[in-house]
Amino acid sequence: MAQEKNMAVPQLLSNVELVKQGAEARVYRTEFLGKPTIVKERFPKRYRHPVLDQKLTHRRTVQEVRSILRCRRAGISAPVVYFVDYMSHCIFLEEVVGSLTVCDHIASTQQSESCQDQELEWLAQRVGQILAKMHDEDVIHGDLTTSNMLLRRGPEDPESNLVLIDFGLSYISALPEDKGVDLYVLEKAFLSTHPNTEALFEKLLKSYTASSKKSSAVIKKLDEVRLRGRKRSMVG
Amino acid sequence: MHLTQELELFPDHRVTQMLFKEVKNAAGLRQSAVEGKINGALINPTMLVNPFQVLVAANKAVHLQKSGKMKTRSLYSEIIFNLSPNNNISEAFKRFGISDGDDSVMVVVVHNKDESELLADITAKVEGRQIPVEDVSSLSDSAKIKKLYKITPQEEKCGTLLDAVVCRMATKDVM
Repeated sequence: MAQEKNMAVPQLLSNVELVKQGAEARVYRTEFLGKPTIVKERFPKRYRHPVLDQKLTHRRTVQEVRSILRCRRAGISAPVVYFVDYMSHCIFLEEVVGSLTVCDHIASTQQSESCQDQELEWLAQRVGQILAKMHDEDVIHGDLTTSNMLLRRGPEDPESNLVLIDFGLSYISALPEDKGVDLYVLEKAFLSTHPNTEALFEKLLKSYTASSKKSSAVIKKLDEVRLRGRKRSMVG
Repeated sequence: MHLTQELELFPDHRVTQMLFKEVKNAAGLRQSAVEGKINGALINPTMLVNPFQVLVAANKAVHLQKSGKMKTRSLYSEIIFNLSPNNNISEAFKRFGISDGDDSVMVVVVHNKDESELLADITAKVEGRQIPVEDVSSLSDSAKIKKLYKITPQEEKCGTLLDAVVCRMATKDVM
């Protein structure tokens, strides 16, 4: 049978709500098999050679679903994968309904002023614990920001309330170097989006150190990375 | 009693599930399915957590059929194969298809708009009592499901059993 192109997914996406467009992918909101769903589409990049583009896009799509599954297996909340189309490079994910990004939560708590410290400290501790767990599984998120963490409100236990999203740049690595850079990226993003949170980020790192089995090497690397920046010097 | 869901990706396709208990002719049904005389997939409901699990498998099967990338010979065998967490076809049939001695069966039919005739044909063939599809959870063997899909106790903390199962089904081809 001739392999005709299956246009079902692109056709669906042309009729649904576009939530966000980034450099790498577009995110849509729709209903899939009756459930609220987020579709992440990695569109073709015309500025790349088509063969290379196809390969990179495919690899990132695969990487993303692998990391999500790996995290979920370890008990780290991440969106459920409903369906993957490797031809149009679309991932159909559970929509975390009624959630708030950690970014928005910190911003609004900082504004409200009433008893904010305790609330945010608790949150920083949770984030530290979850990242420690993730790194202990050798998952490097690659794009840690407070916008890529969701707070799910619900009657469930606090364990499951923090959901990590956007594993688009993630990969598997056991190197303290990669984990250090992962934390460095978060530190940069955290301190630049939320002013005057140095003490809070300190709390986060403290709880990371306390929860991770391999934290000492990672923190040592983090100090190194702080001095030289994210990119390693390749001279010599 | 039955449950019909339109596939958003394939608007002219619908999936209908029918659940039967106290089935007396499982062996005969299986035989006619093998011979292609039954227009549907016969699934062992003890391996099902929720009707959504079947929908995910059916959607993927239709998708792969349309792209010419099915791993098995027919749409209905592909649905059974898609339920399995690994890529072993014969094992998938053994675990998720029905066996001769089974006393319950979930029948899955993929069809266009009008299904009444197809459904009547199925109900005529199954010698058993039809029960609401939503009751499938009362028949499921969660211990067996957890073991087969290798679901850890930690994973159940961050979501339901259904979430864990669906995740594995959706991602099995790259694991």
